[in-house]
Amino acid sequence: MVRRVELIGRSFSSRLHDERVSAWLGIWLGASFAAAFVTGLISHFMQHPAGWLVWPSRPVNLYRVTQGVHVIGGLATVPLLLAKLWVAYPKLWQWPPLRSLGHAIERGFVALLVAGSLFELVTGVLNIDYWYPFPFNFPAAHYWTAYIVTGALIIHIVNQASAVRRSVGRAPAGATGDAGGGLTRRGLFAVVAGASGAVAAVTVGETVSPLAGLAVLAPRRPGVGPQHLPVNKTATAARVTRTALDPGWRLAVAGGSIRGLSLSLADLRGMPRHEVRLPISCVEGWSAEATWAGVRVRDVLEMAGADPHARITVESLEPGGRYRTSPLDWPHWHDPRTLLAIELGGAPLALDHGYPCRLIAPDRPGAMQTKWLARLTIT
Amino acid sequence: MKAAAYALGAALVAVGLGGLLAHAADTRPLGWLAWFAGVVIAHDFVLVPAVLALAALLTRAPARYRTPARAAAVIGGILALVSLPLVLGFGRSSANPSQLPLPYGRNLLIVLSVIAIAGGAVIGRRAWSARARRTAGDTDRDERPS
Repeated sequence: MVRRVELIGRSFSSRLHDERVSAWLGIWLGASFAAAFVTGLISHFMQHPAGWLVWPSRPVNLYRVTQGVHVIGGLATVPLLLAKLWVAYPKLWQWPPLRSLGHAIERGFVALLVAGSLFELVTGVLNIDYWYPFPFNFPAAHYWTAYIVTGALIIHIVNQASAVRRSVGRAPAGATGDAGGGLTRRGLFAVVAGASGAVAAVTVGETVSPLAGLAVLAPRRPGVGPQHLPVNKTATAARVTRTALDPGWRLAVAGGSIRGLSLSLADLRGMPRHEVRLPISCVEGWSAEATWAGVRVRDVLEMAGADPHARITVESLEPGGRYRTSPLDWPHWHDPRTLLAIELGGAPLALDHGYPCRLIAPDRPGAMQTKWLARLTIT
Repeated sequence: MKAAAYALGAALVAVGLGGLLAHAADTRPLGWLAWFAGVVIAHDFVLVPAVLALAALLTRAPARYRTPARAAAVIGGILALVSLPLVLGFGRSSANPSQLPLPYGRNLLIVLSVIAIAGGAVIGRRAWSARARRTAGDTDRDERPS
């Protein structure tokens, strides 16, 4: 479909504002958004598991990888989206703006797609940088807007499918050589790839630790924090400083028809000690591995006589907050690497890492590695 | 097939809008709408015109230097845009030094300098080979029998 682009639209003479460039950028952008949507859903349903949904505890690094793809991939999508919008920009000024009801509906969905895409990337970047200038709760707004973007994207793909087939299948019409000193199509693709690569290069080290030294523009650096591990929520912010340092601290295990247990720190130290190497994999995309030691959750729950398929609720000393408790399903609590950790790197946990005792489990979002444990409730 | 895809797309949009309204306490629909529209306005009427103005400036450069200059400007500009929240540092917390632990302003300057040097090297090489070509052309002319 050849659009009549008049007035301002007509003055965009660059060969970059054409169907073929737009189609290729669209294909790459569509793939990026699909990956972000799928990894985003994984993250959402890991943090808010439905009753019918039981996540596996292996592979250990599954969430680390999916969330790394979501965040670092999302960052690398910024240049792609900006290039795509740049190429499509003259269409904003098409004349007449609305030719028919069908055209109005089509443009309405494009508006949702453009606004939603920008919204997701802008709020995502601000969130990983801990800057919240918006009035809404980030996860809720980012999550629901993703459905709008995906729906509008599907409609856009259907509308553009024939144009994409037409332009991608054939050889480029114009010259690909020197475009009067400007960027050629191939040059544009190279610049977009270069920008995406550059953005990824200076951030990916926040989750791929061998590249940590390159992560000069990442909001986290593995190895930086108390006991060489980054902290998300501090004990002060969680308002647990007094209760966590109380020498009378006990971990309660209760609920269902089981024998209730009340374990002191000395009791936990007296039980079989296990050491695991597991990452904290944050929803914000960073991750860092550490060596933890403590008691297997399995050993404690078997001692209490919990049903093997029970769902456990892990509760923190925190007086409130969205992540005061977290659900622990049977694949996770049976996993021999799931610990009630009391040591980090061979020393007692730092207060900000959950002293006296925290949960550490494989394949689990960091916010659900509940710190400052108070109670395991069997439901 | 096409109708089914339209229906799926429209249904997903409805799910998103419905979810935003159903969880209004978290999503603050009016604040959401302001940001949803605001990012488009900021992109279409601030960012793009600013880039157009910069691009117009760059067209003053000799044609053969324009491509490396544009490439460096685009890559550097996007890196600066994406890392702007880090440089501004509103997310820093004195209670949690592991959050935004790096000197981002300095790091961005270093990264931008590397990009500028790379772009400058390409321009320098082009200028050098253009001069070499001119010199070679002169020699050819000189050697031509008169």
